[in-house]
Amino acid sequence: MLWEVEVVLENKKAARDPVGETIKRDLLAKKGYDMVSNVRSGQYLRINIEAKNEANAKDIVEKMCNELRIFNPVTQTLTILNVKIS
Amino acid sequence: MPKVDTDGDELEVNLTNNEIEQIKDELKRDPSITEWGMFDVMHSEHCSYKSSRPKLKLFEDAEKNYDYVLAGPGQDAGVIDIGDNYALAFRIESHNHPSAIEPYHGAATGIGGIIRDILCMGVRPIALLDPLRFGPLKDNPHSQWLFKYVVKGIADYGNCTGIPTIGGEVEFDKSFESNCLVNVACIGLGTIEDFKHAPSRANNPGDYIILMGGSTGRDGIHGVTFASRTLTEMSEADRPAVQIGDPFTKKLIIEATLEAIKTGYVRGLKDLGGGGLSCALSELTGDGGTGARVDMGKIFIREPGMNSFEVMLSESQERMAFIVQPEGLEEVLNVFRKYEMAHAVIGRTDDTQVLKVYDGDNLVVNLPATALSDAPTIPRKEKRPDYLDDLIAQKTPEQSKKLDDIIYELIASENICSKEWIYRQYDHEVGVRSVLKCGEGDSGVLRIIGTNKYISSSVGTNSKHCFLDPYNGSKGGMVEICGNVIANGARPKAMVNCCNFGNPEIPESFWYFAESVKGIADFCRELKIPIVGGNVSFYNEDEATKTAIKPAPVIMIVGIIEGEKNIVPLPFKDVGSDILLIGKTKAELGGSEYHSVIYHLEGGIPPLVNEKEIKLIWDFIFELYENNLVKSNHDINKGGFIIAIAEMCFKNNIGVNLDLNTIQEENLRDDELLFSESVGRFIVESSKSDYDKIMDLGRKYKISVKKIGITTKEPEIHINGLKTSNFTLNLKKMKRLYDSTIPNLMDK
Amino acid sequence: MSIKIAVIEFPASNCDLDALHVLNNVLNIEASLVWHNHFKEKDYDGVVLPGGFAFGDYLRAGIIAAHSPAIDEARIMLKDGRPILGICNGFQILTEAQFLPGALLRNESLKFVCKWVNLKVENNKTAFTNRLNVADVIDIPIAHGEGRYFTDQLKELIDNDQIVFRYTDEKGFITNDSNPNGSMDNIAGVCNLEGNCLGLMPHPERASEAIISPKGSTHGKLIFDSMIDFIKRRSK
Repeated sequence: MLWEVEVVLENKKAARDPVGETIKRDLLAKKGYDMVSNVRSGQYLRINIEAKNEANAKDIVEKMCNELRIFNPVTQTLTILNVKIS
Repeated sequence: MPKVDTDGDELEVNLTNNEIEQIKDELKRDPSITEWGMFDVMHSEHCSYKSSRPKLKLFEDAEKNYDYVLAGPGQDAGVIDIGDNYALAFRIESHNHPSAIEPYHGAATGIGGIIRDILCMGVRPIALLDPLRFGPLKDNPHSQWLFKYVVKGIADYGNCTGIPTIGGEVEFDKSFESNCLVNVACIGLGTIEDFKHAPSRANNPGDYIILMGGSTGRDGIHGVTFASRTLTEMSEADRPAVQIGDPFTKKLIIEATLEAIKTGYVRGLKDLGGGGLSCALSELTGDGGTGARVDMGKIFIREPGMNSFEVMLSESQERMAFIVQPEGLEEVLNVFRKYEMAHAVIGRTDDTQVLKVYDGDNLVVNLPATALSDAPTIPRKEKRPDYLDDLIAQKTPEQSKKLDDIIYELIASENICSKEWIYRQYDHEVGVRSVLKCGEGDSGVLRIIGTNKYISSSVGTNSKHCFLDPYNGSKGGMVEICGNVIANGARPKAMVNCCNFGNPEIPESFWYFAESVKGIADFCRELKIPIVGGNVSFYNEDEATKTAIKPAPVIMIVGIIEGEKNIVPLPFKDVGSDILLIGKTKAELGGSEYHSVIYHLEGGIPPLVNEKEIKLIWDFIFELYENNLVKSNHDINKGGFIIAIAEMCFKNNIGVNLDLNTIQEENLRDDELLFSESVGRFIVESSKSDYDKIMDLGRKYKISVKKIGITTKEPEIHINGLKTSNFTLNLKKMKRLYDSTIPNLMDK
Repeated sequence: MSIKIAVIEFPASNCDLDALHVLNNVLNIEASLVWHNHFKEKDYDGVVLPGGFAFGDYLRAGIIAAHSPAIDEARIMLKDGRPILGICNGFQILTEAQFLPGALLRNESLKFVCKWVNLKVENNKTAFTNRLNVADVIDIPIAHGEGRYFTDQLKELIDNDQIVFRYTDEKGFITNDSNPNGSMDNIAGVCNLEGNCLGLMPHPERASEAIISPKGSTHGKLIFDSMIDFIKRRSK
């Protein structure tokens, strides 16, 4: 079955997120959107994968991201946002 | 625009009804929609130069008249022999309209395009320069946005391809607000052998045609409606108005192309720009006297279901067409395989002199190879604008501010202040050639490793001067840019120009173009500087208000310095040196920064150019160099000589004590003296002990050489000898103002 | 003895020819440009991973190059103690390949920065700093958009003396102003535990000839000289 797995990679808190900080501070806050308290930036990947079931699809994606360092475990976290049938 | 209709497919074309009939007559049939697409592109102003060609004939024939010019206008780049078996290729182009819509990708793809042109001459691109023009940044978020992203686009693309940006120029003026100008220049270096073996055209039947690089998508397809379906699955709104560049692919293309050329089997080479593959093939075969048979099915495409029009006219970036000798096919393909560059053999040349493109069994293009190259020219009317006389008659108001406040305001003004904010974002050192780096001199200076030669280059012009007097203003641009390389010790060897003007169908706008071309042609002929290339960008005007940009005939000069010790620095070197002003200062405040910044005036008497005087000054300066009489040199431009002096003080924090009695004149006011932008002048630092020798030489050349002061230890500029009271400027304050203008506008 | 150094060329490396030029023409040793897929460790005494944008810096600077067969070959050299130098993009590749600790992130200013800086030498016992003295302040240029050094093992790095260079002012003081990209603890270069592998963001190949150095210095050359000395001493 063809699945679609959505993944986001974000900087760990300690590594800071100057992109998110800049968007909030220099763009939103200055233009009247001061009700926005925080912005995080990251990288988004949408992966289409052939797998037995949802759990299997998630497993393979996590394994490959770890093994190939698609995210950098020193500086980033990996979060699976959503899995659905493609 | 007229529309042509072929079997229900409709296309708007850049052709008059006359031209449409002419084409049908010559082919003895109705062209296919793809063929109409090709005519449309090749007859556009951008490709055919139909308005400008008649005027450009004024430029003298560089290849004929100068023995060191190896390639002149009409080729992909100008090429000159610089001695020691080396050849230098260079070219300048505009990417104005795309950058005004999408500054990042517009500027980036501009860089991509100019790199490809240099590559086609068989040499390695080694430097970029970028003359840019925007509306003023202050209180203008739109101009700030354009400025920020144009610079970022140039930086990201140039940095990734590893080609240093060694110089550039920025002019801020209201007329560029909705029509920013992004011109990009590139220099390439190779041996004479590299150039002689450079692939040129497809002049051998039986050679293979290879498409290499990025994939072909629907980029750049506009103005066509297909009967079979609405344009594509992507609507106009979804399609990016500007192509997206890919510097990673471009870097691989540079290496793969240079390596492929070294095999010796590449006979023809063309980058795919306007009109995509169809026009590239037409030029290669048309210029080469051959024909070609191409199978569209072999072309690797990016989007499903593209039809022949879309494939043949796509302007997808980062693609090259190679013409390869059959014996060398595998070797060349192996180079492409090494770099993992997508490639396909799409056809072969033949002796039919016809370009045939097949889509399966359908013949979709069947044109004589030369059909596209002879677009007719269109005569345009010229008229000197009525407003000019009043503008030139404008008088400078009485001085309302103190002179020192004026100077502090000028040093901080956008057109004069430090541009470090820009060049810090450019890797200007990659290639380990940069000797005089951005911000260090009037020009960028690169070494040629293994020789004692140095390349010096600069770009720019003064659009305010050109606006008041395009003939003298364009000459003044030549004087300024030549002055930039001369100030660093180089002899100007050749030039290319990028003419940015308004709508040629409007007589006043076309007059500016015609006068500028005349000015450049006359000056270059007199001063013996070959014009080896050029680019014209028309229609830079605001649709809504119908106001054109100020005319900007941008000049690029390449010069050569022989020997490291002959590189002349800009900053003052020593305390206790003489400061000399070379050349006469006249009451020429028209179009000056002083008028513009302090009084918001555009008018006044603009500077005149006298070629004979300029030649004498240049010869004098070179004789000073030959006799080691110059410690530092800076040519005088925006803001007048007082700004040039301040700029020489900054680096080593050396101050000056000026006594302007030596240059005082009865009819010259203090502000005219300090801020006039009379062309061709230099500030030179020299030894006290050489004063007499220098004065003798000045008399020999019959030019004005005046000592106006000495350098001092205290970081202050003392100005004495004015008609009004003397005053002192604080160097630290001046540097702070100079450095902080653009960061304050952009980084807060 | 005949010393052979490899300069690895990844797709879109762009400082490879510069490093090659310095090794061949300034140091006069035999250096070769080797396409990453063709690199074999047994032919070389040392290897340089040059600056540039290997694989376009796609996904993350250095990550795709870290999976190249060239890195598997280099790993053998890492283990047997031969010198490995990563410059700028090369440093990024070495951290992604886990030859070196930490990671390089986008500059704090979010802008690319090209300028000359000062570095203080913190460790002169590595294969690349034996010709320098601890506390030396050297002139060297940077040119990068992703040079902000980050590690979650700062204490270990300090304890193990793995910090080799820090950004400082002209006098050698570690200040905020002298930090061009927000690097943790002003770190500009680190080495592995054994000291045979060094990664640094600044470009020593651009600081090896007086003619192209603003102050006429050649401090970068000392890094390459040190590598040659190290190789010679090893072979004894």
